[in-house]
Amino acid sequence: MTQHSTGTSITFDQATKTYLGAAAPALDALDLEVEAGELVCLVGPSGGGKTTALQLVNRLVDLTSGDIRIGDRSITDQSAIELRRTIGYAIQQSGLFPHYTVADNIATVPAILGWEKKRIRARTAELLELVGLSPVDTWLPRYPAQLSGGQQQRVGIARALAADPPVMLMDEPFGALDPITRVAVQDEFLAIHRAVGKTTLFVTHDIDEAIKMADRIAILKPGGKLAQFGTPAEVLSNPADDFVGEFLGAERGLKRLALTTVGEVVSDSHDRAGAEAETADARTTTAGWPDVEATMTLREALSVVSAARAEGAIVHAGDSRLGEVSLRDLIAPPAAGEDREGVRA
Amino acid sequence: MDVIFGAFPFMIENVGLLLAKTGDHLIISLIPLLAAIVIGVPVGVWLGHIHRGEFLAVSVTNIGRALPSLALIAILIGFVGIGMLNAMIALFLLAFPPILSYAFQSVDSIDRDLTRAARGMGMSPVQVLLKVELPLGLPMIIAGIRTSAVLTVSSATIATIAGSGGLGDVILNQVAYGMEGVVAGAIWVAVLAILVDQAFALLLRVAAPAGVKRLQVANAV
Amino acid sequence: MSDFAPLGDPVIPDYGQVSDCVINNGVFCGDWFISQWATVFWPPLLSHIVMVAIAVSIGFVIAFFAGLLAYRKKWLAGPIGMAATFLYTLPPLALFQLLVPFTGLSLLTVEIALVCFTLVIIFQAVLVGLSGVPDDVRRAATGMGLDRNQLLVKVELPLALPSIISGVRIATVLTVSIATIAAFVVDDGLGSPIIKAVSSPFNTQFVGAGALAVLLAFALDGLLVLLGRVLTPWTKARS
Repeated sequence: MTQHSTGTSITFDQATKTYLGAAAPALDALDLEVEAGELVCLVGPSGGGKTTALQLVNRLVDLTSGDIRIGDRSITDQSAIELRRTIGYAIQQSGLFPHYTVADNIATVPAILGWEKKRIRARTAELLELVGLSPVDTWLPRYPAQLSGGQQQRVGIARALAADPPVMLMDEPFGALDPITRVAVQDEFLAIHRAVGKTTLFVTHDIDEAIKMADRIAILKPGGKLAQFGTPAEVLSNPADDFVGEFLGAERGLKRLALTTVGEVVSDSHDRAGAEAETADARTTTAGWPDVEATMTLREALSVVSAARAEGAIVHAGDSRLGEVSLRDLIAPPAAGEDREGVRA
Repeated sequence: MDVIFGAFPFMIENVGLLLAKTGDHLIISLIPLLAAIVIGVPVGVWLGHIHRGEFLAVSVTNIGRALPSLALIAILIGFVGIGMLNAMIALFLLAFPPILSYAFQSVDSIDRDLTRAARGMGMSPVQVLLKVELPLGLPMIIAGIRTSAVLTVSSATIATIAGSGGLGDVILNQVAYGMEGVVAGAIWVAVLAILVDQAFALLLRVAAPAGVKRLQVANAV
Repeated sequence: MSDFAPLGDPVIPDYGQVSDCVINNGVFCGDWFISQWATVFWPPLLSHIVMVAIAVSIGFVIAFFAGLLAYRKKWLAGPIGMAATFLYTLPPLALFQLLVPFTGLSLLTVEIALVCFTLVIIFQAVLVGLSGVPDDVRRAATGMGLDRNQLLVKVELPLALPSIISGVRIATVLTVSIATIAAFVVDDGLGSPIIKAVSSPFNTQFVGAGALAVLLAFALDGLLVLLGRVLTPWTKARS
């Protein structure tokens, strides 16, 4: 692997956009600091200005007032064209060029930057491996029309990463995929994100996707105002206002359970269960409990338990039994998901 | 340049001649056009309704476009001889392909979801045709007729070599009418073609169902 | 018989070695066609091809840049389209004759008129092709940092090619057909043997020249289809 540039922070400083002829701003004085290497999801209803916020960064839309900085440098310090070549950009429907092969698509920006052919070839192959399209030789000569939606989206991500930009902008990149493909591509992208550490702004209208992907979530409300900015756990535990509460929906409590895995709560119950293990009472209690994997989220485990009409579940990690979780452990975990790193580990 | 200006006095002096020739011209253009409509529209619409015969429609269009009107008229001299009948057969053969293929496409290209919805509501095939396909396809059918009408008025000028009369007699007879006459005839027939074209453009606007703006399709050549 | 008096040489064809078919004026006498190929058919066929090639090439260049202009400056699309449509509506024979006072009975007259008829078709094809480039592709390209010219050359024009090529195909076929009418102005092209045979009237000469015009149209069309396949390999690619 080549050396990846580490990410750079993105700072929105009173960023405002009012479209020509519009009475109200689409994005109203947004202050937002995306730290280097962080993945921030912009969510909100349509009309919230989330796509506007994204397109302000690579100047597909021009600021009305305020500023946006990448690292220490204002985006207005360089030409829009040069700026865009240093920012990865992936969009819904992939935006792949239908007349370019996969190889040519990925090579677009390196080619206009004047990279040597050898370097471009090596980079293209490396990226295809990274997004899980291997063996690369079978994919390079294909045209987008010969790929499935998920494969196109993977190539779109590879293309956005091609020139090793410190910053990635993603505009509902998985919006057009079917649910199963979508989960797979989300997982792959998270793995890539952890591996390459690009600062990523990710627009989605799907709050579940945001909860799954984001280090922090920025919720925009109609009128282009920032309603709340925080980790998924913070947002789910303490919605800033009624709008956020309503946007998160009635299942907010359940969504929060998706931030913690069974493995994280099982040790507690295991200790307690160990202390009472000798009593016959405990053994009969766990009879008929379903098996769950330690990597499952509490939300998934709860679903399994509910389907089995049981009071808890037996937790496994591969072949070894870790212990049990009771229904109570599942629905009221201690400080669920406060530690994002723990969740991801 | 003088010739161009000379054409206008010629028109005034020979208005009777030009009107008579225009009458012939319209007869040899419009009768074949009507025949092509009477045959081409029902056949095209029916083929479009059953979504069959795309190959036929496309082939007829391609051959029709490639067929030089002059060659057609000349060849027909060998078969039917000199006269109006020759010209009318030739112009029918020229007018038919666009009318058929536009009529076919007008119905064939209608969103299948619409006709499926219509059938799902319990319409019979005839009702689907009359209530959905024809109203939506009408602008395109008229566009096909418009193309053919301009083509027949245009080509009728050449039919004069088969002795059919019409404005071509003036345009191609410099010996009798002088260059002023030739230019006058050319201007006259050009205006006639534009008027015919605009008349159909107007009809097109009137015929488009309210709320349906398929005119951009219809305006395609 | 019409008052029409054709240009050029006397109209009696050279009957050559007289066969039964020629004496009876059959629909198509193959022997006569072959024996007269070098004098009656080949030279007009060649000049016909040259006439069409010049007209389509010039028409393409004009219409292509007009299309680009109309694409960049949207307000120009209406007026340019209307002007081109107006020219297209004129009967070919009328346009030829209207040009004669200015440019004479010359090849120039013919080419000007033929170019006029190609314009609207190629212009619209270019405009439709460019406008048909998917928005997400254009946005992705811009977002990646392609400038306006790179966007046009690398993305928009290639994607408009299928439409442009089909426009050139239609324009070529039409020009082959209309170019026969040029024989009323110059003694050139496949219309020339047709007109010369009108007053005889000798069938093989009509049918032979007419059939050659149709075959030429299909042959050029086929060549353009092949060219299109070579230029747009991605259109064949389906999973």
